[in-house]
Amino acid sequence: MKKFLKKLFKYRIYLLMLAPAVIYTLVFAYYPMTGIVMAFKKYNYAGGIWGSPWNGFENFRFFFKSGQALKVTRNTVLYNVLFIVCGTAVQVAVAVFLTEIHNKWFKKISQSMMFLPYFISWVIVGVMAFNLFSSDYGFANRIITALGGTKIPFYTTPAAWPMILLFFNIWKGVGYGSVMYLAAIMGVDTSIYEAAAIDGANVFQRIFRVTIPSIMPTMVILFLMNIGGIFRGNFDMFYNLVGNNGLLFDYTDVIDTLAMRALISSNNFGMSAAIGLFQSILCFITVLLANKLVSIYDKDYTLF
Amino acid sequence: MKKGLALLLATAMTVGLLAGCGNGGSGQSSAGGSTTAAASGGGSSESSGSGAADNSGSSAAEDGAIDLSEHVDLKMYLIGDRTPDFDEVYAEINKILEEKLNCSISVDFLSWGEHDTKYSLLFSSGEDFDLIFTAPGWCHYQQTVALGGLYPLSEEFIQTYAPGIWEVLPEVAWQQAAIDGQVYMVPNFQQEFGQDVLAVRGDLLEKYGMTDIRNWEDIRKFYLACAADGIYAGQGGPWYTWFRSLGYTGLAGSPKSGETVMIHYDQPDDMNVYYLLDWDGFSEYCHQMKEMADAGCWSSDVLNSADERQTGLLTGRAATMVWNLGSCVTYAKQANAEHPEWNITVCDPLAERQKAPNKYTTNGIGINISSKHKERAMMALNEFYCNPAIQDLAMLGIEGKHWRAVGDNQYEVIDESNFGVNNNCNWGWTNETIRREEYIADMTPLDEKQKELLETWKADIREDIHPYENFSFDPTNVSTQFAAVEAAMGSYYDPLLNGLVDDVDASIEALRQAMDSAGMQDILDEINRQLEEYMATLN
Repeated sequence: MKKFLKKLFKYRIYLLMLAPAVIYTLVFAYYPMTGIVMAFKKYNYAGGIWGSPWNGFENFRFFFKSGQALKVTRNTVLYNVLFIVCGTAVQVAVAVFLTEIHNKWFKKISQSMMFLPYFISWVIVGVMAFNLFSSDYGFANRIITALGGTKIPFYTTPAAWPMILLFFNIWKGVGYGSVMYLAAIMGVDTSIYEAAAIDGANVFQRIFRVTIPSIMPTMVILFLMNIGGIFRGNFDMFYNLVGNNGLLFDYTDVIDTLAMRALISSNNFGMSAAIGLFQSILCFITVLLANKLVSIYDKDYTLF
Repeated sequence: MKKGLALLLATAMTVGLLAGCGNGGSGQSSAGGSTTAAASGGGSSESSGSGAADNSGSSAAEDGAIDLSEHVDLKMYLIGDRTPDFDEVYAEINKILEEKLNCSISVDFLSWGEHDTKYSLLFSSGEDFDLIFTAPGWCHYQQTVALGGLYPLSEEFIQTYAPGIWEVLPEVAWQQAAIDGQVYMVPNFQQEFGQDVLAVRGDLLEKYGMTDIRNWEDIRKFYLACAADGIYAGQGGPWYTWFRSLGYTGLAGSPKSGETVMIHYDQPDDMNVYYLLDWDGFSEYCHQMKEMADAGCWSSDVLNSADERQTGLLTGRAATMVWNLGSCVTYAKQANAEHPEWNITVCDPLAERQKAPNKYTTNGIGINISSKHKERAMMALNEFYCNPAIQDLAMLGIEGKHWRAVGDNQYEVIDESNFGVNNNCNWGWTNETIRREEYIADMTPLDEKQKELLETWKADIREDIHPYENFSFDPTNVSTQFAAVEAAMGSYYDPLLNGLVDDVDASIEALRQAMDSAGMQDILDEINRQLEEYMATLN
C-alpha cells in the first residue's frame, strides 16, 4: 500500500494529464451506459429510468415480430461492408494520388474541393439527389431524354439504389477519410523512397511496394474502427435519400430506419433502447472477432 | 502495478457514480409513488415542495373558497412559433391573471418542425412546466398518457377549479377525451369542420366541361381528364376522400394514424369494425389508384417528394390541392393573385354527405403530472377559456393595435403581421360561446364560396354520431405488435395508396401476410375487447 501511494505520488503529473480523458470517458461513455436498463423496462414518465417496472425481453420482440429483422440486418451489414471496402479503397487511392502530385496549387484546390461535401448535411444531399433523380424534373432524366432515351423512374426502381447510396457515401466521405491516409503517407521515411528510386523502382512499384505496405497499420486500425459500427445504419443518409418510399425498402431499409418507422408514432423509449442495445452487442462481437482475426495475421496491427 | 492502479481508480469512480445513481433512483421512484397516490386521491396534489399550499388548497376546496395567497408563476408549452408581438400580448393577459388569480404565465414554444421529437423529451427530462397543448392523433395525447405524462383530471377537480369549463363543455367532449375512462385533457369548444375539400383550377374545370366536383365520380373524371391533358391532377391518391365518400372512417388510435381499422360511421347501428384488408373498399381503391397513377394523374415520385400540400397548386404543377376549407381558401387566394387566369375555386368532393363537426379534442390542453401547481394551472386555464378579455387577447392580440371590434361578437383585422389572427396556438381554449367571428367588408368569390359551403354544412349537420367515433384505442397492452405492424406496413402501404405497385392484388396479399405475422390479429382482438368495454360504459 505504501509502495502504491509512493508510485501515485511519483507519477502524479502523468496521472493528472490522464485525468481529463478518463473523466471524459467515464462521464460520456460509461455513465450513459447505465441507461441500457431501459431496454428491459416498461418505461413511464412518472417512474423514470430507474422506477419503471421491468419487462424482460419484451422490448426486443417487436423487431423480430415485424418480419423485417433479417432483411434490415442484412441490408445494414451489406451496405456497411460496401461502404467500408469501397470507401477505404477510394480514400487510399486519393491520398496516394495527392502525394504524387507535385503542383502545389492543384493539390490544395483539389483537396479542398473533395473535402467540401463533408460539410454538407444529409438533408441537403437528399434534396440534391431528388433533383438529380426525380422523373419529372430530374437532371439525370433530362439528359437521358435529351439524348433520345426513355426516362428511368429512379424512385420506383429499387435496384438502382445501392449504387446511388454508395456514390453519395463515397462522395461525401472521401475528402475527410483521405486526410488520415495522407498523414500516414507523410510519416513514411523518405529515405525508403530514395533507396527505391536508386534501385530503379518506377512510380507504381513505389506505390505498391513502399507506400501501401507502410500505411497498412493505419488502414487496419481505421478498418477495425469502422467495423465497430457495422450494424449501425447511417440514419441521416438513408432517411434523407430514401425517406418513406416503401418501394425501395427491399434494397434500402436498414435497422435504424425500420426502428424509426416502428416507433415514431408510439414514442416507445424501451423499444428504442432495445434496438440500440441489439446493434451495440452485435457490433461489439464483430469488433472482438475482427480484432482476433487481425491478431492472427499480425499482432502489431490490433486495436487492443 | 500501473495497470492495477488504473483499475482501482476506475472501479472507485464507477462505484461512486453507481452509488450516485442509486440515490437518485430511489428518490425518483419514491416521488413517482407519491404522485400516483396523490392522483388516486383525486383533488389533492403532489407531496413534494408545496405541502402547505396543498393542504390549504384542498381544505379551501371543501369550504368552497380557494386560497390564492401564494403567488405562482405558471409555465405553458404551446406548439408553433413565437410571433413578434406575442410577449406584449401575454403581458396584457398576465395583468388580468395577476389580478384575478395572483399568478402569471410564461409560454414556451415547440416549433412545428421539432415538436415530434421534443414533446416527449419535456416529460422524460423532468422539465418543470404546468400546462401543455395536446390533442389525440396529431399532438401526442395518447402517447403521453400511455407513459403517464399527463395529470388525470377527475370530475371533482374540474368542477372545483374550472367551473366555467365544466359548464360550457358538453358531456360528449369529455367522453372523447377519455382514455380507459379517465380524462387527461381539456378539449376546446367549437363547431369546426375539419373536412378536407379541394381547391381546383377553375380554368381547367371549364376546359373539361365540368362545373363542380361533388362526388367520387367527379374526382375520377377530373383527375383522368387532367392526366390526359398532360398536367398532374394532384399530389397522390385521395385516400381520405375515398373512404369518407363511402361512409367509412378510421378508428382513432389504430395503427398508421387510425387507418388500419375502419368503422361505418354512416350507419351508427353497424357495430362492426372493418379490418382494412378485409374491407372491400380497400382493394377497390387500390385498383382505381393503379389505373389513375398509370394514366399519370400524379408524379411517380410522390413518395419521395418533400412538397407541401399547396406546392403543386401554387407552382402550377398540379391542378388541385387537398386540405381543410380555411387552408384551401388561403392558398387559392394566393395562387389567384399571382395567376388570375387560373380562377381557382373550392369544391367539396363529399357534397352529397352530411358533415359532422370535428371532435372537440382536435385541440386541447393538458396538465403536466409533475406540475407543482396543478390547481392554479387549472384555474388559469379556466380564465383563458371563459374570460372574454383573455380569449380575445390570445386569439386576436391587442385591441386597437391588431384588431378592431365590430359589434359585440365580430372583429376586423388591422394588422396581422406581428400577431397572426387565431394563429398563436390559442386553439386549446377556443370557446365559441365567447369567441369573435371575422367581419369581412368586401367578399371575393372565394369568400362567398367558403361562406356558402360553411352554411350548407351547418344547415345540415350529421346528428347521428357513430358511438365508435368518440372512442380512442389504447395500444398499451399490444405495444409490441403495434410497433411491429407499423414497421411491417412500410414496404407496401404507401405505394398501394398511391397506385405505384406493379401488381395490386399481389401487393395487398403481401401486405396482409406482413401484417398478420406482425401480430395484427392481437391488435384486432384488443380493439374488440376495448370496444366492448367502452360500449358497456355507454349503456
